Amino acid sequence: MTMILGVPAAVLFGQLLLGLINGAFYAMLSLGLAVIFGMMNIVNFAHGAQYMLGAMTAWLLLTYLGIGYWWALLLVPLMVGASGLLLERFVLRRLYRLDHLYGMLLTFGLALVLQGLLTNAFGSSGQPYSIPAELMGGRNLGFMFLPNYRAWVIAASLLVCLTTWYVIERTRLGAYLRAATENPMLVQAFGIRVPRMIMLTYGAGVGLAALAGVLAAPVYQVGPTMGADLIIVVFAVVVIGGMGSIMGSIVTGFLVGLIEGLTKAFYPELSSTVVFVVMAVVLMVRPAGLFGSKPEQAQNHRQVLDGASTSPRTQTIQFLVMAALFAAAPLVVYPGFMMKAMLFALFACAFNLIAGYGKLVSFGHAMFLGTAGYVSGHAAKSWGLTPELAVLAGTAAAALLGLASGWLAIRRSGIYFAMVTLAFAQMIYFVALQAPFTGGEDGLQAIPRGHLFGLIDLSRPANLYGFVLAIFLGGFYLIMRVVGSPFGLVLRGISDHETRAQSLGLETERFKLVAFTLSAALSGLAGATKAITSQIATLVDVHWSMSGEVLLMTFLGGVGTLFGPVVGAFVVVAMQNYLAALGQWVIVLHGTIFVLCVLIFRRGIVGEASLLLRRWSARPAAAAHPAAALTPHRQPAGH
Amino acid sequence: MTERPAENLAVRTLEAWYGESKVLHGMTFDVRAGEVVTLLGRNGAGKTTTLKAIMGLIERREGSIRLDGAELVAVPPYGVARRGIAFCPEERGIFSSLSVRENLLLPPVVAEGGMGVDRILDLFPNLRERLDSPGTKLSGGEQQMLALGRILRTGARVLLLDEPTEGLAPVIIRQIGRTIETLKTLGFTILLVEQNVAFASGIADRHYVVELGRVVDEIPGPELETRLDALKGYLGL
Repeated sequence: MTMILGVPAAVLFGQLLLGLINGAFYAMLSLGLAVIFGMMNIVNFAHGAQYMLGAMTAWLLLTYLGIGYWWALLLVPLMVGASGLLLERFVLRRLYRLDHLYGMLLTFGLALVLQGLLTNAFGSSGQPYSIPAELMGGRNLGFMFLPNYRAWVIAASLLVCLTTWYVIERTRLGAYLRAATENPMLVQAFGIRVPRMIMLTYGAGVGLAALAGVLAAPVYQVGPTMGADLIIVVFAVVVIGGMGSIMGSIVTGFLVGLIEGLTKAFYPELSSTVVFVVMAVVLMVRPAGLFGSKPEQAQNHRQVLDGASTSPRTQTIQFLVMAALFAAAPLVVYPGFMMKAMLFALFACAFNLIAGYGKLVSFGHAMFLGTAGYVSGHAAKSWGLTPELAVLAGTAAAALLGLASGWLAIRRSGIYFAMVTLAFAQMIYFVALQAPFTGGEDGLQAIPRGHLFGLIDLSRPANLYGFVLAIFLGGFYLIMRVVGSPFGLVLRGISDHETRAQSLGLETERFKLVAFTLSAALSGLAGATKAITSQIATLVDVHWSMSGEVLLMTFLGGVGTLFGPVVGAFVVVAMQNYLAALGQWVIVLHGTIFVLCVLIFRRGIVGEASLLLRRWSARPAAAAHPAAALTPHRQPAGH
Repeated sequence: MTERPAENLAVRTLEAWYGESKVLHGMTFDVRAGEVVTLLGRNGAGKTTTLKAIMGLIERREGSIRLDGAELVAVPPYGVARRGIAFCPEERGIFSSLSVRENLLLPPVVAEGGMGVDRILDLFPNLRERLDSPGTKLSGGEQQMLALGRILRTGARVLLLDEPTEGLAPVIIRQIGRTIETLKTLGFTILLVEQNVAFASGIADRHYVVELGRVVDEIPGPELETRLDALKGYLGL
């Protein structure tokens, strides 16, 4: 048998073929993302779910209506694309004047809803979808066996990609699209119905994802979760390639697939993380991406939020009230719930430090929570460290991870920052899945609680509660002081208008990195304490859905408000605890809350409440100026 | 082309807002068919906003904009364009991802009687040899010619030109001036925003002076020279 660099040739070519297949799907999906982003400035997080919907619809058509592959190839993109048209018309259209992150959050929520609904209906396990009879079998190429269906997938996806490229770069319609990407208002002023064109573009992009789904159905298992992991890799592809160029998306997609295939042949352990490693390298040497022309402009004038500022004295009083309430809570509330909620609240507050005050919305904060959990669990269990040292070790690990990932991630901002952090977190997830000390799928079990400072027995409930309470209050107080400090002011200044802050002589990158590292460390503090308290550390805490949960807590409670994340964390944890019996419906509920938060509730519970309070207390003044009372308070819009 | 029906743009008590701030406070003026009319005024007086408000490129506008009696104030931008009004923005709006040719061919034809591409290239010979270069590789003057040229293809008869001479060399300004005169003889109706009084005085039939979002004076073209002192007062020169 021929060997190439120590690998049998057949294995190498087989893996390259597999890489090419994966690359075909990366290319088709990142192409759709690029087209949608270009027109709408929305990072369509639902793209993975819509790909999944395509595959599921094909499977449903076959299973329940007996409609086969070839018809599905035609019908499914039309059906799913039509759902995209409705989505654009009635939901996404409301977001165009908001920060791009809102689009990402909303479509993330939609992806959760879709995935949850389909899991409810059909279970989470994959279903087989057989290869159409015409494409059964394969041919021997001499050096390898080429299954016909795989050849077809590669040919079809190339055709789809190149057709899309041709339409956009070489036709009159494409010229309209490119022009509208640059200056939609002017294109409108030339007599082109841009809103309708945007709707059709989104529909086409979604249809493309669905087409990829149908093509994928006979290759992968068809199931509700098939899109979620894929979309994260596609985000990494998008960061590597840069979203500016259509051909760039196609080339990068196939390239990344091939790199994965090569890695699988020569060094399989790295195959699931190699994409993210490539992304990190690209961020280091060419932050705008391989085909990106320039880094995205900072969106200086689109505000994500405007937090109400209260005086330090009021804050201190509010803090003391909260401390007293939480100290007394075990008398009426189940202490286990309180501890869990407090630790998630700390996690959310740490997230809010960077997302709310620094406006760097990370989609990967679970990596800090989870890593710290593993490290402190391992330290307590295998090294026999006392709990405070174990927690310290976990926190330090998270801080280091924050420093390293932050150093790379802050080279991008806005949606790219979100995608980069998400990709890094996925890399950490795969590491946690494979590393020897994490226990893989089982996680770390029976982590000893031990004696605090060697003295205080944490297995006694009251001691444990005091320990968690002290850590939560300490962490919260620190965040409160940081936000109110000159450092916090600079951070807010940077998030308002980075270039202006730079022109004042501030090294903004450094401030962002410090804030990110601090946020990572405090998330780690929560994760480490959680591992000691709950005595387990599992993959749940490093999974992307945990990053989604902390986003949910923060946005639901009120991003950029001091107490919002606490309120949000309590609500979300309560939902998990008391609605656990609903299973996947909780995911649907989470997704729905995301959508509602973005559409009608952007200030969150605390933000909306304090706004109501301010309006109420300003009522007499408003009555004196009836005109002012009649003018609705508008969200600041970007000009 | 001269036998085409006459257009008449009538703007009445036009008000417009950027967010919460009101920028136009009741603009009222007319542009009669075949006329070249300028809006003169200081920076921030509302001249550009007036053009944008006519096109519908502004968040909120009230009042009345009639083209040959048809009300446009509630019509979306693409509808305004399709009724035969074309807009050449101050920043020129050349698309960098499109070639010169694509830029030229971009605006859809809204009525018969537009100029052919050859005719446009005769007006602006510089563009002919640059047809395949990217739009933003052109010089400022060439970009202005492209921005002007591409709206001549569409068949629109009313042209809104926002400071076509801004930042250009005198020789180019003269060329633009000759072009506008040519367009006038072809029967186009032109509403021109200008800061360059010398340029405006040479080609316009009438001038409206805009201050704080309303028209404060109307000066017939021939009188501009004699009323230069009053105008300098308005413009703060």
